[in-house]
Formats: sequence, C-alpha cells, structure tokens
Amino acid sequence: MAEDLKTEYKGKLLAVKDLPTLPKVLEEVTRLVEDPDASTDKIAKVISLDQVLTAKVLKMVNSPIYGFPGRIGSIHNALVLLGFNVIRGVIISTSVFDIMTKSMVGLWEHSVGCALACTEIAKAAGLKDPEEYSVAGLLHDLGKVVAAVQMPQVKIDIEALVKSQDLTYFQAEKKVLGFGHDRINAWLAGHWHLPVRLTEGISHHHTPTRAEHYPASACVVHIADFLVRLMEYGSGGDDNVPPLDPNALKILKLQLKDLEGVLDQLCDKFLEVADLSFA
Amino acid sequence: MDSCERIAPFTRQLNGFLLTPRREILEMVSGLWTTDLIAWTIYARGKSAIENLFTDPPDLLVVDSRMPDMPGTDLVNLIKSENVYRQVPVVLCLDAQDLVQCSNWSTIEADDFLIIPCAADEARARLSLTLCRASRSLDANPLSRLPGNTTIIQRIQELIDNRQDFALGYVDLDFFKSFNDKYGFSRGDEALLMTARIIVNTIRSFSCASSFVGHVGGDDFVFILPPDMVEDACRQIIDRFDAIIPNCYDPEDQERGFIRSTDRKGNFQEFPIMAISLAVVLNLDARLKHFGEASQIASVLKKKAKENPKSCYVIDRRDHSSAA
Repeated sequence: MAEDLKTEYKGKLLAVKDLPTLPKVLEEVTRLVEDPDASTDKIAKVISLDQVLTAKVLKMVNSPIYGFPGRIGSIHNALVLLGFNVIRGVIISTSVFDIMTKSMVGLWEHSVGCALACTEIAKAAGLKDPEEYSVAGLLHDLGKVVAAVQMPQVKIDIEALVKSQDLTYFQAEKKVLGFGHDRINAWLAGHWHLPVRLTEGISHHHTPTRAEHYPASACVVHIADFLVRLMEYGSGGDDNVPPLDPNALKILKLQLKDLEGVLDQLCDKFLEVADLSFA
Repeated sequence: MDSCERIAPFTRQLNGFLLTPRREILEMVSGLWTTDLIAWTIYARGKSAIENLFTDPPDLLVVDSRMPDMPGTDLVNLIKSENVYRQVPVVLCLDAQDLVQCSNWSTIEADDFLIIPCAADEARARLSLTLCRASRSLDANPLSRLPGNTTIIQRIQELIDNRQDFALGYVDLDFFKSFNDKYGFSRGDEALLMTARIIVNTIRSFSCASSFVGHVGGDDFVFILPPDMVEDACRQIIDRFDAIIPNCYDPEDQERGFIRSTDRKGNFQEFPIMAISLAVVLNLDARLKHFGEASQIASVLKKKAKENPKSCYVIDRRDHSSAA
C-alpha cells in the first residue's frame, strides 16, 4: 500500500484520546475506587478483566512523566506505583461505548479468555511469573478496538468482508487497511512506552517466530489465541480457528499433548469467570 | 482577611526588603502587615541595598521597577543569577505601561509582580502566595520533587516540640551503588523514582493527616507515620519494592538474580538485586528532645538493618536515654 496512506492511518490510530470500554467492569472498578477499604489486589483483579482499563493503566505508569518508561507490565505493580488518586482519575475519566455491539462483547470475552489461557500455557511451559503473560493475552486484540474507535467505517467494511468472503478478521483487516491489528498493537505499544516483553507478545501473536527479544511471550499468546478460538469462548471477529504454528510449541518446549492439560485447566478457569458477562 | 493573621506556614517574624523611591508604594506595602509579622527594611536606591541583600538576604524582596539609580529588573536578575540567593522570593512593582512594553518575560527573573497602583488586599494576597510558593519549592528534591532536608528537619522538630508520638522511618537501598555503576545514572534515577513512588503511595494509603515522605537525597528517604501503623507500612514497602524493583534490571540479570560489577576497590564482583532497608525511630511519651537524637538513633539502627542483605526493617524499641 502507499506509504503515505499508512502514515495517515497510523497518525489517526495513535491520536486515540478517549478509549471507551464496556460498562460491566467499569462499574465494578468505579465502585471499588470509591471504597477506601478496597485493596490494590482486588482492584487489580477486576481491572485485569478489561482490556481498555488495563491498557490505560499501563500507558499511564509507563509514561515518561513517572520516570521509568517501559518497565512496568503488571497491573498490580502499575496500581502500586500510580496510587489511588491517579487510578481514580483514570477510572472516572473513562467513558463507555455509546452503542454496545455484539461484536464488542464477543471481543471482550475473547480477550479475557486469552488472558486466562496465557497464564495456563506459561505455567505449563514452566515460565517464570506466569501471570505476567496474561496481560499480553488480554491486550492482544487491542488494535481492533482502537481501529473501531478511531475509524468506525473501517470496522464495518472489515466485518462485511469477513461475512461475504469467509475471511478471517486478520485477513480482512489487511485487505481493507493494508495491515492488521498486530501492526496497530506494535504502534500503540511503542507510542505508550510499554515494556518490550508485552510489546512483542501483542504484536507478534500471529508471527510468533519473528519476535526478536521475547519469543516466549509471542508464542504463549499465539497458542492462547488458538485454544480460546478452538473452545469458542467469546469471539475474535470471525468463526475461524487460526492455524497453529508448530514452531510456537517447539520454542516453548511443549508437546501437543501438553495442551490437553492446559485445556482442562482452562475449562475450570472459564467456569470461575462464568458469571462475568459483558453483555 | 485579618492583617494580624500569621502568614502560613511561617511562625516567626519575617524580614522583608522593600526597594522603592515612591511614597505610595512604601505606604501601601509597609501597611500590609504589622511589624511583628514582617519587619521591612526600606531602600530608596537600588545600589545601597545590594550589599545588604548579599550579606543578609531577606525572606521577601519587593523591588520597584522605577529605581532612580538602576532598573529594578537588573537588580532582580543580579540576585537571581546567584544560586545561593535564587530562593529569595522577589516581587516586582510594575506600571501598567510595562506590561505592554515587556516582550520577553524569560529575561525577568522575578517570582511575581504587582501593578501600581495596587489595592492593599490584592498586594497582601499576592505577597503571601509568593512566600508560600517559595517555601514549597525551596528544598524539593530535583529528581523526585519530594520535600528535602530543610522541610524534613522542620517537620520532625515540629512534632518533637509538640510532644507528639510518631514513628520516623529512614529508608535506603542496598546495592544501589553497584546498580548505578553497571547501568549508569539515568537507570539509577529510574530506580529511585520507582522507590519514591512506592514509599509515597504506601504511606499515603494509610490516609493519615500527619504522614509525611521526604527525600534526603540519593537513595535516602524518610517517612513519618503514627507508631501503630508503621510496622504494616514497613512490610508493605518491602513487599512492593521486592516485587517491582527487578523490573529495573536487564532480563538476563533478572533471570540470574544478580549483576556483575566492580566494587569500591575496582574488583570484579557479583551483587544481588537491590534490597530496601528501613530503620524506624519511635518517639513515644516525648522521649526525643531534638531532631539530632532521632537521626543518631536511626544511623545505629540502619547499620543493623544493613547487616541483612535482603530487604528488612528494624524498629527501635529501646529506651532512648540508653540509646545515645
């Protein structure tokens, strides 16, 4: 595609100011930040169910104003460093989508599913701090949200193409925009000074072998995306199961049969969050 | 506003210098407060004030831009260009005409201005605000912008004078120097800013009016809390610090759990991930008489906390008369 068109799109996407979210989690967090007895742990747990709030908190704590850009990738640590005042400010300044579409609800569920799956896969692969990988899972489709907010027509075109030509959302994005949400994620992560491990997890989940510094992070998200779509938990925007890159398993030193255990664990986890409905 | 009211946060008589040849300014300014609040020294010529300004700088300097022997702005810049006098709050008296003529405010180093003629109420408000602002930013640490030594000592001495119970925590980092040596000072600053944030948010979460956090400098911080809360606070600071600070290291070093760097003698050595040491002095039943006692006890406790290479806290529970 023409480079200048891409630059224009990039500028438009990075200019995102007010990223709205779905009301369910926002309401719960709003209640918590008004409660002086609410612990950081509790607030972190609830925020970790919402990709937009998580993105906002990590963007804030990694902003150069605080003096340690690119260092913080966990929600709990971010909350400790930001403190209640700032968190409250972030929460009360967040709005909800004017119209809550079915596709958005599906995407929110898919993200939470992916976050849970990342933790289980990281555990199975024996990685240190398995929870840290869940943030990458949660944010792996953030680019889709930002594109929908900044370029509403693009979302409509992509969805139409998915329907009419039986493409994956990722393929349709490339046809309509010339690039996918993985690229948008990379731009956002750079613009927001997110840590490298998180950045690679969210910008290489479709190309896990191309992650330069933290291939494990990209591989975990790649497999998680595959499993969650396989289990049809939420929706990534189309009904396809993306191909699983066997190299991702190899890099994590996992066998296909290891994934069976992960699936079992995941079924339990999904039951735990069963009462969480974004709709 | 009652002109007899003290000018917060000052509890002593202030010394002001007023440089003006104009009677109306002299009468207006000197009538703002009673002399037990601010004692004004008046100069009708700029040059005659300079030596006194340098030898005995005032708490507040009000300068008329229309001095007979030199422009008021030159005098202001002369004072402000010396680092030792920079903190003196300076208010310039201008005429409305000056606002039109002045095109480059960056060349005027005053902290505020009054437009002459000026109503007494407004002048009082602006001079008070200028004084308060100067006292706030006077000793803030340039990195963390937390209050520095002057404020720290003032705060502790106030509590001692009021015979109030309090816990005073001294915080410093273990292996900060080796971290700094290996990664450079800007990465060192990152670690200090993170530490500052952890301490501030933890102390603030106890939402207690008398709490305080100051930055002595480098990797030394202090905090104040009521004695019954301090142990919880220490534990939380340690937990949070130990969870977050590894993020300051490169992934290989994080994985390894230590860094290779040179020690004070230039020998290659291994250093663990940074830890945080807390030494807490308690002032119960007004046992402390002076700030110096607190810092003395703290330095003994600190050595004890430092013996442990891991993050830890030591709370002074001894009778203070035997601690000295």
